[in-house]
Amino acid sequence: MLTLNINGQSHQVDVPEDMPLLWVLRDHLNLVGTKYGCGVAQCGVCTVHVGGKPVRSCQLIVGDVGTRAVVTIEGIGNTPNGAKVQQAWMEAAVPQCGYCQAGQIMSATALLDSTPQPDDSDIDAAMAGNLCRCGTYIRIRQAIKNAAAKSA
Amino acid sequence: MKKIIGIVVAVVVVIALGFAGWQFLDLDPTSFAGGSTVALGDYKGANVTGVPGELASADIVKRGEYLIHAADCQACHTAPGGTPFAGGFAFNMPFGTIYSTNITPDKDTGIGNYTDAQFLAVVHKGIRADGEKLYPAMPYTSYTYMTDADALAIKAYLFTLPPAHAPARQNQLSWPYNQRYLLAVWNAVFNSDERFRPNTGRSEQWNRGAYLAEAMGHCGECHTPRNLAYALDNHQKFAGAVTAGWHAFNISSDKDSGIGGWSDEDVYLYLSTGHAEGHGGAAGPMGEATDNSLSYLLPDDVHALVTYLRSVPAHATDLPRTVTTPAPASHKEGVPTVSNPRGEKIFAGACASCHDWTGVSPVTGYATLTGVRAVNDPTATNVAQTVVNGVDRTTAEGRIFMPAFGEGYSDDDIAAVANYVTARFGAKGASLTGKDVAALRKQAAQQPNHQEASND
Repeated sequence: MLTLNINGQSHQVDVPEDMPLLWVLRDHLNLVGTKYGCGVAQCGVCTVHVGGKPVRSCQLIVGDVGTRAVVTIEGIGNTPNGAKVQQAWMEAAVPQCGYCQAGQIMSATALLDSTPQPDDSDIDAAMAGNLCRCGTYIRIRQAIKNAAAKSA
Repeated sequence: MKKIIGIVVAVVVVIALGFAGWQFLDLDPTSFAGGSTVALGDYKGANVTGVPGELASADIVKRGEYLIHAADCQACHTAPGGTPFAGGFAFNMPFGTIYSTNITPDKDTGIGNYTDAQFLAVVHKGIRADGEKLYPAMPYTSYTYMTDADALAIKAYLFTLPPAHAPARQNQLSWPYNQRYLLAVWNAVFNSDERFRPNTGRSEQWNRGAYLAEAMGHCGECHTPRNLAYALDNHQKFAGAVTAGWHAFNISSDKDSGIGGWSDEDVYLYLSTGHAEGHGGAAGPMGEATDNSLSYLLPDDVHALVTYLRSVPAHATDLPRTVTTPAPASHKEGVPTVSNPRGEKIFAGACASCHDWTGVSPVTGYATLTGVRAVNDPTATNVAQTVVNGVDRTTAEGRIFMPAFGEGYSDDDIAAVANYVTARFGAKGASLTGKDVAALRKQAAQQPNHQEASND
């Protein structure tokens, strides 16, 4: 039995230690906002925050989470930057099909946490690992800048 | 005039022979230890061959199973994805390609008809049942130190495997390397054809480690540089070499270029699990050696290996001391974008999510790049190979996985990202070109079995 701190709540899960965190979130805790994409940390849709860092939950085994706090798309709106990013996302109507967007929002929020006023190069470096097959990259970039402007 | 030419030729021959003699002397892989050795039968200490005490009363097949892991027969005698021990693994050498053979007990294509004597001749002398000589890709110059009893236990285990019908693949060697009879000369010079001799000046644990490293695990076959005749040059024992397109690093006691700076515990962990925090994880052939062989050794045997490895004298090579501090968190610091924009871009998209801009992975210690020898190797050989081939290891801690990027990225891309990674996280940035990466791919290539490779 493992104890996980997810979105500020403690959860007990009875799963093998080498199960990816993504499976635990989706299949055992019904937190299905985080999506499964490539399964090899190459697309970014499964991004969650672990200990404040954006992490691909398809590659992180649950036994390695330890006491680090996990925040998912379900909880990100309760953080100051997460709320700003979600608001900016709605205002810019960023999503098209939406499948990648949970991961985009998690990576964008982590970027603002570490770099409150990112320039284009910061955005490239932080977001390059999050793919969007609909090509919403231009709106993603704009929404990140809008969210940052709200903090300025 | 003729006389002068004659004298010159004679002098050249004498110098060449002298050089060859110097090169080839001191062949014994354990001679660095000095002191005196005795035949196993005359050794007064505990038995340093065979299986550990825990398995002493096990039957011969069980003992053979332990020993075949210790000797790591499987890694080379199995093609990628193929039946274990059915052969077909490719060794790409500068002079052609050799394939490992089927050592399942199939009577037509394997070793099903081998007598004990024939099996010992293969293991100790590199001579097959039909009298032909094996190429020393089969490490019989190491296995020659194995006792008859241990070799025959391995045979007993092999004979319990299901026979697999797998004819040997055709070697592709250029002349004169395709003339097997020439190996008689090579064997006369380079194969001692003698069993392990314990060193009376060293501990039992050291002797056990020596037996495991030399007669069984044949560490030197990858980690010791080779001389002009492609035999191990034990003057540079464990000083590192490039084998099958991967850099088998310096594992001598040198503090900077070897493992002299590692703690015993780190060496123990690396050998038994293929990973030690702060030193990275084994990939490529060492990953296979860990998963097929070293991880099966009982703790006392791994400790014995550590003791033995520690005693190998330092050989300083041109590998720099590893950088153990993480890179800056911001991509803007550390390596300037202008120096390698392509490498940085690829790193941002494909690598940073697991390896982080600092090199300290938020996902798993196996993916941390800080302190890893491969990224501190200015040739970036293993970085490029890891990017091309990925990592897919099954360990006691679960599956260790990194995607293989070789199909999706061009040689130039892989060179760029390898150069970026070594510059950002290592001691000195590499300057690989796409051509270098193409050559590295070729050296490590394994052709699928259904597609007979041709010479062109």
